[in-house]
Amino acid sequence: MGGVGDEEPASKRMKVSPGELRGLSNGSSYTEPVAGPSRDLMARPLPSEGDEEVVGSKGVIKRVEFVRLIAKALYSLGYNKSGARLEEESGISLHSPVVNRFMEQILNGNWDESVVTLQKIGLSDENIAKSASFLILEQKFFELLDEKKDMDALKTLRTEIAPLCINGSRVRELSSCIVAPSFVGSPSQNTVRAKSRPKLLEELQKLLPPTVMILERRLEHLVEQALVLQRDTCIFHNSLNEDMSLYTDHQCGRDQIPSRTVQVLQDHSDEVWFVQFSHNGKFLASSSSDKSAIIWEVDVNGWVSLKHRLVGHHKPVCSVSWSPNDSQLLTCGVEEVVRRWDVSTGECLHVYEKPGLGLLSCGWFPDGKWIFSGVTDKSICTWELEGKELECWKGQRTSKISDLEITSDGKKILSTCRENAILLLDREAKVDILLEEDKPITSFSLSSDDKLLLVNLLNQEIHLWSIAGEVKLVAKYQGHKRTRFVIRSCFGGLEQAFIASGSEDSQVYVWHRCSGELIEALPGHSGAVNCVSWNPKNPHMLASASDDRTIRIWGLNEIKVKHKDAHSNGIHYCNGGS
Amino acid sequence: MDVDPSNYNQLAINENDTHSVVLSYLVHNCYIETVESFVASTGMKQPADCIDDMEKRKRIYHCAVEGNALKAIELTEQLANDLLEKNKDLHFDLLSLHFVELVCSRKCTEALEFAQTNLTPFGKVEKYVEKLEDFMALLAYEEPEKSPMFHLLSKDYRQQVADSLNRAILAHSNLPSYTAMERLIQQTTAVKQFISEDNAKNGSQPFSLKDFLSS
Repeated sequence: MGGVGDEEPASKRMKVSPGELRGLSNGSSYTEPVAGPSRDLMARPLPSEGDEEVVGSKGVIKRVEFVRLIAKALYSLGYNKSGARLEEESGISLHSPVVNRFMEQILNGNWDESVVTLQKIGLSDENIAKSASFLILEQKFFELLDEKKDMDALKTLRTEIAPLCINGSRVRELSSCIVAPSFVGSPSQNTVRAKSRPKLLEELQKLLPPTVMILERRLEHLVEQALVLQRDTCIFHNSLNEDMSLYTDHQCGRDQIPSRTVQVLQDHSDEVWFVQFSHNGKFLASSSSDKSAIIWEVDVNGWVSLKHRLVGHHKPVCSVSWSPNDSQLLTCGVEEVVRRWDVSTGECLHVYEKPGLGLLSCGWFPDGKWIFSGVTDKSICTWELEGKELECWKGQRTSKISDLEITSDGKKILSTCRENAILLLDREAKVDILLEEDKPITSFSLSSDDKLLLVNLLNQEIHLWSIAGEVKLVAKYQGHKRTRFVIRSCFGGLEQAFIASGSEDSQVYVWHRCSGELIEALPGHSGAVNCVSWNPKNPHMLASASDDRTIRIWGLNEIKVKHKDAHSNGIHYCNGGS
Repeated sequence: MDVDPSNYNQLAINENDTHSVVLSYLVHNCYIETVESFVASTGMKQPADCIDDMEKRKRIYHCAVEGNALKAIELTEQLANDLLEKNKDLHFDLLSLHFVELVCSRKCTEALEFAQTNLTPFGKVEKYVEKLEDFMALLAYEEPEKSPMFHLLSKDYRQQVADSLNRAILAHSNLPSYTAMERLIQQTTAVKQFISEDNAKNGSQPFSLKDFLSS
């Protein structure tokens, strides 16, 4: 202290030193005297930004760290001259000269000198210093072995490595390495046993405190963190191939959500009650109060066309269910029978019924060999495909609305039981869990990963429950209308990030699942929308079924669709309505 | 069942049996002079080649205990040609004794070479690998007595190896490798243990040979 520099602010004095002190912001003990009177170094041009120690508007980025990371990144990219120039101009060294010397010695294989230099770096934790020395001497050991200098390697082991008194088991392994080649299961069978020197340097970087030696690719890592965070908070994120750019914050526009009617399917002659895409996204099935069901084909461009009309039911068809491999379809008539159809031929393969009773719902077991159905006598019945009845779970307290779902591992069955509750029947653990709501439940649907359950309630709310592990309510969605009818909702979009639902006000509602925010209310139908289905293989395709006898296919709002073109005839590009 | 030991005090024991037990113990442990005087005193018949065999085994045993493993190996080969081939474990133990000698005498180069030639071939077989690693680890320390494997340098260890060698030689000549004395004591201990467990008396002590002998 004293001398010329006294009145100057501390930061200026630090900047003026030859960067030694700068490089070690961990408060380590290494210091070098400030070189010469400061007036010599004052002659250097000062950076225009002034001497602030922090950069950025929030004041959380330290200038020294920032510059060192940039310098490191420049060197990694191979721009050595730029890196050196940056160090010079900013007066901030990437690494102190000692560390630079150390790194050079490592890369040149000057082991003994590097161990000495290591001591000069002045690490506060002795164990780290020892571990680092161990790594270096180990490298020396292996390189000697590779040069067939067994006795020298042994000498290193005895006189330099073992006396460190750490990592005894490794010392033992090293002894064996000297005679290694004929061992069964000895540590390294390769003839070259030493790792590369740059690899050693990387390991030393991880071992030493980050302020001494900056980690490789640290800047890149920070940038990636920011990008991932942006992507996670983007509520419209619905596109797989979205390139993230560093220039602007990532935010998908609404244009990634299907919001425009692309097709209107008018082949039903009465209210359409149910619609569902197949697992592979190539087909769509719909069922109607016109007592028929239709299988539609979805072509590569997203265009939907009628494939088979399934006639045979004598009552309105309330639901359909795709077989796990999409080759067959079940349809259920209201309080009637369940029919099994072949998707490719449209033929009815089997009719399942319970004499004197009616069936209300249908579904497949995950192996595709059994089917189950809810019955009007409040039981659930299972059949083999060929029609042999297997089990009947009676007394499940199922109410009239018998929605049934089974998890994809076949272990849990969910059914509505009582007005306000859903029963989770664990077939393995033989445990029942009751999921209770405070309002009557009208329908529910299971997510494809079996972890979430979407429950539609009488009071116009949709509740999201987590059922993996502890059963608990996770989110609520509101905005749609439901008063008299059964309205269904579903999961959809990329990674099931969205919830879609029908509504009695003729609109299709879409919410962002995690935030609960209502994103879209899509007009177009002229009657209550009973059911929606999001294409599991195409996050930009949504289907809705309505009392207005139509099914609408919704797609993206842009003319230039990235992944598919060839919509050569523009008839199905309607703007919004109609 | 009445287990009062005093009931068995009257059991007749053949004196010749007692003599045999003592003799077998002496022969096993190569107490040559004692054998000679014992035989003279009791008028027993001394088995043929007994003295000769004892002398040889005695030499081998002492070589091993003193750490002169190579000599022990040489003598063993002379006495029983294929014994070490048939007892690989023993062979390994003997060779490792020599290795330890070299390490203790700080002859590292020799030790390393010896290990590379003679010991590492054993490393091809899974069960020797860990032992081998134990021995190799001794090389890493300038003061092997202070290393984690210091027990390999102890006299106890050498005696253990020497004992095994002795037993193997006896077995090879179709003589019992465990003396009658040892067997009897083992049996008594086991029986007593069993009985006391069976009775489950409160505070029953585990069997103590010392107590038994002084009772």
